[in-house]
Amino acid sequence: MAKYLLKRLFYLLLTLFIVITITFFLMKLLPGTPLNNQAKLSKSQIAVIYQQYGLDKPVWQQYLSYLGNILHGNFGTSFQFSDQPVSYLISSRIGASLQLGFQAIIVGVPIGTLIGAIGAVKKNTWVDTTTTIISILGISIPSFVLAVLFQYFFGVKLHWFPIANWGSFIFTVLPTLALAVSPLAESARFMRTEMVDVMNSDYIELAKAKGLTKIGIIYHHALRNSLIPLLTVVGPLAVGIMTGSMVVENIFSIPGIGELFVKSVLTNDYPTIMGLTIVYSVMLMVVLLITDIIYSLVDPRIRLTDKG
Amino acid sequence: MKLKPTITFGVVALFGSTLLAACGSGSATDSSKATNKTLNIQTPSSLTTMDISKSTDIVSAQTLNNTNEGLLKFGKNSSLQKAIAKDWQISSDGKRYTYNLRPAKWSNGDDVTAQDFVYSWQRTVDPKTASQYAYLFDNVKNATKINSGKLSPNQLGVKAEGKHKLVVELNHAQSYFNQLVANPQFYPQNKKAVKKYGSKYGTTSQDMVYNGPFKLTGWNGTNDTWTMTKNNNYWNAKDVKLNKVKYWTVKDPQTALSQYEAGKLDLTNLSGSQVQQYTHNKDYVLRKTASTFYLEMNEKKQPIFKNVKARQALSLIANRKQFTDKILKDGSQPANSLVPTNMQYRDGKDFATESTNKTITAYNQTKAKKLWQEALKETGKSSINLNLLSDDTPAGKNTTEYLQSQFEKLPGLKITNQNLPFKTRLARSQAGDFDLVVSAWIADYPDASSFLDLFTTKSSYNNGKWSNAEYDKLVKDAGGSLANQPAARWDAMLKANKLIANQAGVIPLYQQAQSQLVKSNVKGVVYFPTGSSWDYSHAYLTK
Repeated sequence: MAKYLLKRLFYLLLTLFIVITITFFLMKLLPGTPLNNQAKLSKSQIAVIYQQYGLDKPVWQQYLSYLGNILHGNFGTSFQFSDQPVSYLISSRIGASLQLGFQAIIVGVPIGTLIGAIGAVKKNTWVDTTTTIISILGISIPSFVLAVLFQYFFGVKLHWFPIANWGSFIFTVLPTLALAVSPLAESARFMRTEMVDVMNSDYIELAKAKGLTKIGIIYHHALRNSLIPLLTVVGPLAVGIMTGSMVVENIFSIPGIGELFVKSVLTNDYPTIMGLTIVYSVMLMVVLLITDIIYSLVDPRIRLTDKG
Repeated sequence: MKLKPTITFGVVALFGSTLLAACGSGSATDSSKATNKTLNIQTPSSLTTMDISKSTDIVSAQTLNNTNEGLLKFGKNSSLQKAIAKDWQISSDGKRYTYNLRPAKWSNGDDVTAQDFVYSWQRTVDPKTASQYAYLFDNVKNATKINSGKLSPNQLGVKAEGKHKLVVELNHAQSYFNQLVANPQFYPQNKKAVKKYGSKYGTTSQDMVYNGPFKLTGWNGTNDTWTMTKNNNYWNAKDVKLNKVKYWTVKDPQTALSQYEAGKLDLTNLSGSQVQQYTHNKDYVLRKTASTFYLEMNEKKQPIFKNVKARQALSLIANRKQFTDKILKDGSQPANSLVPTNMQYRDGKDFATESTNKTITAYNQTKAKKLWQEALKETGKSSINLNLLSDDTPAGKNTTEYLQSQFEKLPGLKITNQNLPFKTRLARSQAGDFDLVVSAWIADYPDASSFLDLFTTKSSYNNGKWSNAEYDKLVKDAGGSLANQPAARWDAMLKANKLIANQAGVIPLYQQAQSQLVKSNVKGVVYFPTGSSWDYSHAYLTK
């Protein structure tokens, strides 16, 4: 296990290095400068400013010094937020994004699992049809459409929740629900398929033959065994939320990192683009690693080794 | 069969508890609702800096304008008001400005002195600061040499004579110098604070000092709400009526509108598509910005545009009124002149109105076709394909689509549209990689020269490379030999503005406007169309 983890860690760092390298050079191909006032500056004025930021050097030199800096934990300062260290910019805004992501998973996955399970148990009845329709709608309607609908009904019309902005827990409810619908629907669909499979398997038949109660069979045998494959989709779902949050954050005026990422690309804010790329890559890879580890913990048939 | 009610109950319970928890904490936050002396304002983008030397955007500029103060400030219609300067003298050659300062204090208790201005200006011009607005100081003696590293910042032509007298030396007379001085870039900076906060200076509300009507509070450098709180150390604090101005960053226009209608905001900006529904609302306010969107034709790449008739044809075929009223519909106004309206006045007359004659900027399809045909004949062409470049914004796309449909009414003209992200579009314009491009300019100071200077033959902003000796001379005189003769200078600039429109050197299309909703109990907000644009120091709420 330890050996496996070390190996995974090595690959993680290698992937990160490749991501950094590719992003850095692609980013430098973007036309224009990172200067906000570019439209009004002459070439010589831009040259004066570039010199201060070391942007006048060849790209490979800039790349090497960037690598050197991040090894020392220095992610540079933002252009968009003048003089603000990128590490601070991200650390002060990532909390909101993470909180929404976690809440969306915590709300979406259990409810989705439940709905999926009900659908499977009540296979081919109106209950099943209803849950299937719910999950198909949940998958097909983008989170930003739901965000606007929730905002209108629960915020503007019913005054149950704040329309936007960030503050106490109540401000997180609508964006969380908007983000939770997709994992809810995905896990419901997945759960239903898995559970239908399991319900048809031999050991369920055996349990029935032993005369166990239906609820006992479902809880002890069917549900538990169906949950294992579900773990594999939670990782990708979490990643999906990361990207979905860019738009939802915008609609609810949440000071997160999603919208910051989009803006940094549009404004050529090089250090912020790089910083956020690293953060997103690490989050993605860590989520996948954790999924693999949990998978091995819950399913004894799977052992994490470096063989095969 | 027993499963169903249990599970259903579980789902309801989970949702229900979320709702209850949410409602519980909600009432607590709502009770902190604004007192009647707080103004709640929407801003479409975050506050990025409070460093006077580094501010480049409208949000930081307006926050600086309300939390700090310079020698002069803008009032209604861009009129100049006394601020820290209680009076000033200009030498007869127009090259020496002497300002006498009133006693004023920083929020840390220090006196605001002439030395603070000297320090601030030197800091902005210093190449190490990498200010993107250092060019505003170009006419201050030695500024360009300092900025290019040839002289040290203390050689800048600005000196303190004692605590309350500031003397500025200019390279040449500049009739609008006081208009420049009213911009945040020319405000004083407290050296002690800059040194104390070091690299954190201006990056949070605490790492900054203030000498204006308000102090900034509650800004950690990246959060999306911040508050301007009345500054009791301000010299004119008795005239400041609001206790607080609270900014809410709301980027989505629909969300902003919902917040306004729910009473959470007193002032909000409307986006293009919303304007139409609200133009008859009693809260609707239209603010014309000092901006012009114009078309540049690349004479180097497409020599047909060296022919004046070809340029005029494009200008005549554009129905500006139809475009702004039926297509843009966001409050923008048709532009018949390069210099926008509502920016510069003389004896109550609007510069743009005075210099507009619509011979070439009014829609006339017959004349356009005739001129275009003549241009084709004179350049020996029968047809021509051109690409038309603009931004990938909704307005940018509307513009290219409209112009394409109009331009293709000209015989033998085929247009291909290209809508690109702003920075990409800008890079292409500056590199001369276009046939036609829709560009925009927003004035830094309310003087026609901020537009006219752009299109002289040697100007680096002249992307289309239009060149006219008479125009060059008029603009040169207005900035040089006539700089100290306001009437003659005004006339020269009027002439230049008429000339570029009639020659269609660039083709003015529209003047952008900012549409807003403002609650009817909000009074005394001052708007001016350039730079920081907003002054809340005299604002108050009735009821």
